[in-house]
Amino acid sequence: MGKISSISATDWQTVLLNLARSYSFYAPVSFNGSMDYELIDEDNAGEIVYNHPKPSTPLKTFFLPVKENVTADLKEQKPALIMGAPSCDLAALDILDEMYLNRDYTDIYYKNRRKNSILIGYDCQSMLENCHCTSYGINPFPEKNFDLLLIKLDDNLLLQSGSAKGTAMLKELENHARITEAEENDIKRIEEKRADLREVLTQKNNKLPGYDSSGRLIKASDDNIWKSYASTCVSCGACATICPTCTCFLLIDRPDFEKIRQLDACQYPGFERVAGDEDPLEELPVRFKNRYQCKYVWKPLKFKSIACTGCGRCIETCIGKINKNELLRELASENKV
Amino acid sequence: MKDDNIYKPLRAKLVEVIEESPTIKSFVLEPEREFSFATGQFVELTLNGIGEAPFTPSSSPLVKDKMEITIMKAGYVTEKIHKLNPGEIMGIRGPYGRGYPLEEFYGKEIMVLGGGCGFAPLRSLLYNLEAEKDRVKKVTFCYGSKNPAECIYKPYIDNLRKMDKFEVYRTVDEADESWAEEVGVATVLLDKVEVNIDDSVAVVCGPPIMMKFGVMKLLEMGYTDKQIYLSMEKNMSCGLGKCGHCMMGEYFVCMDGPVFRYDEIKDQPNIWK
Ligand SMILES: Cc1cc2nc3c(=O)[nH]c(=O)nc-3n(C[C@H](O)[C@H](O)[C@H](O)COP(=O)(O)OP(=O)(O)OC[C@H]3O[C@@H](n4cnc5c(N)ncnc54)[C@H](O)[C@@H]3O)c2cc1C
Ligand code: SF4
Ligand code: SF4
Ligand code: FES
Repeated sequence: MGKISSISATDWQTVLLNLARSYSFYAPVSFNGSMDYELIDEDNAGEIVYNHPKPSTPLKTFFLPVKENVTADLKEQKPALIMGAPSCDLAALDILDEMYLNRDYTDIYYKNRRKNSILIGYDCQSMLENCHCTSYGINPFPEKNFDLLLIKLDDNLLLQSGSAKGTAMLKELENHARITEAEENDIKRIEEKRADLREVLTQKNNKLPGYDSSGRLIKASDDNIWKSYASTCVSCGACATICPTCTCFLLIDRPDFEKIRQLDACQYPGFERVAGDEDPLEELPVRFKNRYQCKYVWKPLKFKSIACTGCGRCIETCIGKINKNELLRELASENKV
Repeated sequence: MKDDNIYKPLRAKLVEVIEESPTIKSFVLEPEREFSFATGQFVELTLNGIGEAPFTPSSSPLVKDKMEITIMKAGYVTEKIHKLNPGEIMGIRGPYGRGYPLEEFYGKEIMVLGGGCGFAPLRSLLYNLEAEKDRVKKVTFCYGSKNPAECIYKPYIDNLRKMDKFEVYRTVDEADESWAEEVGVATVLLDKVEVNIDDSVAVVCGPPIMMKFGVMKLLEMGYTDKQIYLSMEKNMSCGLGKCGHCMMGEYFVCMDGPVFRYDEIKDQPNIWK
């Protein structure tokens, strides 16, 4: 596992308060049965949830806010510390970085927010009903795109650095708390937990086709399955809004040549409408299928990174009770017959 | 360049408005600094506070201090642009995308098929080919529009007809007594022209329906998929391969196009919509 440091739960409480003073510090807090990032201060630092899968809001929102003026001057901001990102959301940053940083045109607002934040990833220690990261080659513990990794074990918190920023942060923490090397036994327990959860996820999703096969199945599918699944879709766009890898947007004009980048979704009617009222996505089943084709067929041809990380949010959020994985399993089973 | 703000438009002064037809006007812009584009590439034009839309400059890419954009009244933004008077400050972003691959045209006969406002990008191409006419065998320009009043760029057409190596054919859907040329949809012109197909490429730009029938006709005549070039019109917002609006199957039309060779796109969904 590499070098792991350990800090006691009591010391960690002090550390948290220090962090809350130096950073815009976000961490998952639970309420009404769901869990989401909240700005942390001394009042709620005790309520932070550890190593539970998946805040409601995907990580992308920190870097691509729903609405942002993309013609304003870049402002100096208090650095953001974002704690509690699960492995699926961290993996989703790959395709965002490819799109907003590494293509021919860099989005300086995205770049600035990425640069100005520190990411603390969490191991997941349980799964939610629709989690399927392992089906797409992602482990339920972060392996990339984090600065620090945090795992809570009873009275200790274990920390691992994943970047130069993370290493610097660990150094900084040493000023406020006693940080020791993690016990052999604790590391072993983590490794066991990881292997167990991975097994549970794999078992639970054993009928789900993998990422590449899903693409092939979608490509070969006929219209009927899309008509049938789209029959309860109300084009609310929630599936795209909540998805950590969907970032389609619309530029909106304001006076003084100001432009607002606003999150958009291919599920909204009119997304591809052109003058003369032609609209390739006019029919609901076609529009519904578009999102699946984009994720599993087209994006893989354009990008090195995958466009679904298996977080399951689109399934949980769908008002039409459409289950993406049920659709993919159905495609897979039809194909075998 | 990397840390430039990709969303911020360059200011450009509108210096002249030319009425081309009852529904089409050309707008001559003077960008605040020199602006280069390759023929077939497009720009995002901002009408301050109102909106932004993609257009392909219709002027010669060899002219760098001014740029002409020809716009058909088609909806919200274009109607407001049509109301503008010289002096207005507009915004431009770009140039974006992949234009016409002139290197693949050199040494050949070039069949250019245009319909309606699709003449706009084609005029830029024709300007470019005029400047390089030593490098091509022949240019045959076929143009169709709704009626004689909607035939744009009349003075330009008159000049083009006098140009050595250039042939011009025109048709209208509905003729009146002033009209002495062909009548019928644009593709009827393809029956009139003489072209050595093996040694030729075809370029098509116009409304989707015209592009579709144009391509079908060219294929019927014996052109192969790889000899046909199309300028695709899709909904666009960013022009930068990010917003997702222009996706046509695996392509971002704004970056991978707007000009495509037919074999590249013929298996993608909804290309004619
Ligand atoms: C690469 C390219 C080059 C073009 N070149 C020219 C040209 O040289 N001359 C010309 O007259 N027209 C050209 N067009 C078409 C022109 O962009 C549309 O006519 C224009 O966007 C219509 O805007 P509107 O607000 O007036 O129409 P509306 O129908 O009112 O538009 C409403 C909404 O739909 C969207 N929309 C509608 N049609 C289009 C469209 N075709 N492309 C993008 N978004 C659209 C707009 O973003 C807007 O949000 C080109 C289009 C593309 C993609
Ligand atoms: S969340 Fe469900 S109902 Fe809403 S657009 Fe997506 S598939 Fe349709
Ligand atoms: S498509 Fe659904 S499961 Fe996949 S990353 Fe997006 S929200 Fe998560
Ligand atoms: S126009 Fe935004 S991705 Fe092509």
